[in-house]
Amino acid sequence: MRIPLTLTIVLFWTCFTMFGQNKQLLYDFVEIPQSAMVNPGVDTDFQWYAGVPMLSGVSLQAGLSGISVNDIFSNDGLDINDKIRDRAIYGMNARDELSGTFQIEILNFGFRGKNPDNFYTAGMYIEGDAIGYWFQDYAILGFEGNADKLNQAFDLGHLKTRGELMNVFHVGLNKKIDNELTIGVRGKIYSSIFDFNSTKNKGTFITKEGVNNIYSSTVEADMQLRTSGLNGLKDASDDGTLGSTITKRAFFGGNLGVGVDLGFTYQLSDQLVFTGSLLDLGFIYHSKDIKNYTLNGKATIEGIEIILPDAAADPNEDFWQELVDDVEGFVPFNDNTDSYVAFRPTKLYSSLRYNFGEHVDNRANCACGVNASSNRARAKFVNSAGGQLYVINRPRGPQVALSGFYQRRFGNFMSVKTTYTIDKFSYSNVGLGVSIQAGPVNMYAMADNLLSYGNLADSNYASFQLGLNIISWGKK
Amino acid sequence: MLSCLTLLSCIEDQDFDQFDEIGVTPTVEASILYVEAPESLVNASTQANVISQEFNFDAFSSNVFSKRVLDGTITYIVENTTESELSVSIELLDVDGNVLDTVIIPVAPAPMEMQQVDVAYGSSGRSIDIIKNTSSIRVEAVNISGTQSASTAAEPKVILKSSGKFRLEIVQ
Repeated sequence: MRIPLTLTIVLFWTCFTMFGQNKQLLYDFVEIPQSAMVNPGVDTDFQWYAGVPMLSGVSLQAGLSGISVNDIFSNDGLDINDKIRDRAIYGMNARDELSGTFQIEILNFGFRGKNPDNFYTAGMYIEGDAIGYWFQDYAILGFEGNADKLNQAFDLGHLKTRGELMNVFHVGLNKKIDNELTIGVRGKIYSSIFDFNSTKNKGTFITKEGVNNIYSSTVEADMQLRTSGLNGLKDASDDGTLGSTITKRAFFGGNLGVGVDLGFTYQLSDQLVFTGSLLDLGFIYHSKDIKNYTLNGKATIEGIEIILPDAAADPNEDFWQELVDDVEGFVPFNDNTDSYVAFRPTKLYSSLRYNFGEHVDNRANCACGVNASSNRARAKFVNSAGGQLYVINRPRGPQVALSGFYQRRFGNFMSVKTTYTIDKFSYSNVGLGVSIQAGPVNMYAMADNLLSYGNLADSNYASFQLGLNIISWGKK
Repeated sequence: MLSCLTLLSCIEDQDFDQFDEIGVTPTVEASILYVEAPESLVNASTQANVISQEFNFDAFSSNVFSKRVLDGTITYIVENTTESELSVSIELLDVDGNVLDTVIIPVAPAPMEMQQVDVAYGSSGRSIDIIKNTSSIRVEAVNISGTQSASTAAEPKVILKSSGKFRLEIVQ
């Protein structure tokens, strides 16, 4: 059943609330220049390339583990509150997440140096990244409350989230060391637009049988929310200067950071290739427009306590206000403007690729061949298959995805790659990517979790990437 | 490709109007007031109130609570280890000092069973507006036996405990 409006709603929800980061289709897709963005040591054979500004690389990825739109909004006749209770509040756990990223390349180009073994890349892209783990105990408290849950400790550490928006400037070098090894490095400058994180929260809220009164309520908290840039953006929005403020921050006017990408491609044999990359090994130092909030301390209350006759000494004594003041004193909610360092979510990719079948003519300006020993670019095979590993550092620890892939080249005109990926979002993620080379024009498009398109509302993960480049291999 | 996928994609029947049916109504409970009077105070007031005191209590009338509370129960527990018979009354007062509700608990001399009184407010009890407008609580205890207590208990005293259990409407 096709419902365009509903589809639009689901796509919107999917794209903007569910995020992941794995680019398993783009990784090691050597026909596409943007593959260097996920492995600066990719085995490239271009003479030069130039991405079409704003269109060379657009990617949006979304992931939600533990639940789907269909689980809540399916027209199944069940009470939605029962579905929320059973499938969200108790069906998910604190490791389930809403997370993701988007990237829009503004500029991206690369060229081969005088030394043909060196390939230089540079560019700029906007990246947004956010993750929020399922705050299960907060949800239980909010949905059901603390009544009849004596001695059940609600974990305040379930609040764990971070997000950021930044502009990234990058310059990279891809160097062919010999016929087996290509390495790459890319330096990055992060120009932050805003950042927030609350990832190291600890504490509990618990209701017990009281020592004096019927119940005692204890809160023990060590919580912190750090933000940079948000207040300035709010002020700019009020002043009507939001656009100029964002632009200024995107071009070194905000908080800055540095990072590096590393990568390599190693030819284990004529047909077997091992690759790896480490991305966004870096940090941003936030010192401007900081606003941090803390909640730290411990308090146990049993309501207003009146112990006579002492308590009657002052008939005007406000015991309620004293109780409130005591709680605020023992568990103070403070704010500060302390600078902080936020590390980027570092990503690790690795792959093992086996090439087989017929050869495809190499377009590079060289005497290329399968058994070439000194040329900079090997001839490609029609088929490639293998496996990929992806790991990203997240607030609750590394997340891993494993992919199997098959790539088929149709001459130098088209290349198709399909992947099967398992991760915490899905065990049935089948993706498809296509790169088409029409003369110097390269177009690519990728999407994954295709099986979920049978019922988009039941999808836990979706992503797409597309781009447009001009590529030259030099004169043959 | 994305366009093709979108055009070819399907979606099972979803009913987003269900969103309007989401109701978040947690039930919260906590202690309210604890009053403890020793035997000496009871004996010192054989012809008068053991206690007659008004306590500010803004928790109920605060917007975060009063605009969301649907119904609930206040539980009072009285323990008496003195040998005096007492009458304990609890009055809920509004911001102007008007009495909104009164609960009277007769308390037998020790040895007594712990006496518990549950007062419901809302759909199955007294008006929930009483709770919404309560700004202070007045507690009075009268020694109606008019006798001196000479309890052999370790620390004879009269204790009033209380707690509230209320259902709140966070989202409807």
